[in-house]
Amino acid sequence: MTRRVYLDHNASTPVHPEVIEAMLPYLGERYGNPSSIHAFGQEARDGLETARERIARFLRVGKDEIVFTSGGTESDNLAVKGVAAARGSGHIVTSRIEHHAVLRTCQTLERQGFAVTYLPVDEHGLVDPDDVRRAIRPDTILVTVMHANSEVGTIEPIEEIGRVVRERGIPFHVDGVQTFGKVPVDVEGSGIDLLSFSSHKIYGPKGVAGLYVRKGTKMAAIQHGGEHERRRRAGTENVPGIVGLGKAVEVRGREMTAEAARLTALRDRLTEGVRARVPEVRVNGHPARRLPGTANLGFRHVESESIVLGLDLKGVAVSAGSACTSGNVEPSHVLVAMGVPLDWAMGAVRCSLGRSTTAEDVDYVIECVEPIVRKLRAASPVAAV
Amino acid sequence: MRYSPALIDHFRNPRNAGLMPSPDATGESEYAGCGDLARFYLRVRAGRAADVRFQTYGCGPTIAAASAGSELATGRRVKELMGLDRDAVEEALGGLPPDRKHAADVVAAAIRAAARDWVSRHV
Ligand SMILES: Cc1ncc(COP(=O)(O)O)c(C=O)c1O
Repeated sequence: MTRRVYLDHNASTPVHPEVIEAMLPYLGERYGNPSSIHAFGQEARDGLETARERIARFLRVGKDEIVFTSGGTESDNLAVKGVAAARGSGHIVTSRIEHHAVLRTCQTLERQGFAVTYLPVDEHGLVDPDDVRRAIRPDTILVTVMHANSEVGTIEPIEEIGRVVRERGIPFHVDGVQTFGKVPVDVEGSGIDLLSFSSHKIYGPKGVAGLYVRKGTKMAAIQHGGEHERRRRAGTENVPGIVGLGKAVEVRGREMTAEAARLTALRDRLTEGVRARVPEVRVNGHPARRLPGTANLGFRHVESESIVLGLDLKGVAVSAGSACTSGNVEPSHVLVAMGVPLDWAMGAVRCSLGRSTTAEDVDYVIECVEPIVRKLRAASPVAAV
Repeated sequence: MRYSPALIDHFRNPRNAGLMPSPDATGESEYAGCGDLARFYLRVRAGRAADVRFQTYGCGPTIAAASAGSELATGRRVKELMGLDRDAVEEALGGLPPDRKHAADVVAAAIRAAARDWVSRHV
């Protein structure tokens, strides 16, 4: 049996055992509909509201400002489309490195007549708050910038951006899916009006997430039906999932700080180890302002997917920075926006570490990478080595 | 696993990978959509591909296809190789998923180009 090492925590994480345990009663005997007024319904309602309180406390916001959704993607859609729908027309400022849940939502709104500015980033993937200031127009209705990028891990200066946006009295949405429960998020200090967060990136179940909506923020519902979630998101809540998310947040509250320090050290061990053994490697992303467990390594003149497959055969799970779909290669839009040259961007591999990652895992991966890259380069007509 | 055991085996242990010094013929093909590249080298004896080597840049399936293609081509008459079908390459790999069909295309085209290169100069 080969060793199995999972370094794809930015894609998803294993559900924490305490989370599973907390969810089980809600998959079993506590099956009522939380909107029902009878005892069965109220048991489910209690689970739902306990989770809401926990998350509100964690973010230091009001309980009524939390809306549950079906995933980070829905949270992003609700925030951006919801604000756009409440205003009817206008201009949106975002960045070129957003998750597709924001980017494609903005593109859809453009086709419906909204104007959108896609801000550039520097070579580390940082948005310049001054660019935000310059992009804001009299008709700007929303600024949406992610907290940390999932591919390269760069953490954006959302406090500074938030200050710029708040001065102008414009709603500020932050996609916090990759930072929530991993690094501190200062909702108040960053002037955030809407914050997307998800469960399956922090050892909770998939298909459940939330959106923080500051009291008074004008946001229309984009899904219509019953009175759920204070009429901001219709549909019977995913009670077991939400209970799991609440538990996951509680566990992160205990573990987050120590875990961030541990993962930063392991991540640096990984990049240093690979750099010491493999020529022509670069680290994509900001050298310091980066998610603790994220290392995006660019191997020049090798194709990412062949490295991913090579590592997969060694039991190591990482993800390819550029994806070839149906014979059409798409170098990552994030790396392109950062100006990473194509011969490096095509060989980008994202390693994202998590709770279960050990130093032995990291050393094993370093050991595996070197011969894989060497062999691929030896057989490559484009590599000089 | 998304790929067949034959494909994985070729990817893990590519046959005939690497440069051939002063080959009798070379052929190249690039898949425009994704930049995958295959280059084949032939050593020809008595009209047959006595030795075949390749270099590739691309995803795992393309590397595996080049390896399988090099085995298929070895010992064959060069004239025959001018008509090498991509399906023969795919078959040697035990099939390809729908979004990786180009691996066999690019490899078969590069082998055909190498064969044409030799024929154009020797026949
Ligand atoms: C930054 C960011 N936003 C949004 C999403 C989408 O979240 P979900 O998978 O919960 O829909 C992701 C997930 O990869 C993400 O990384």
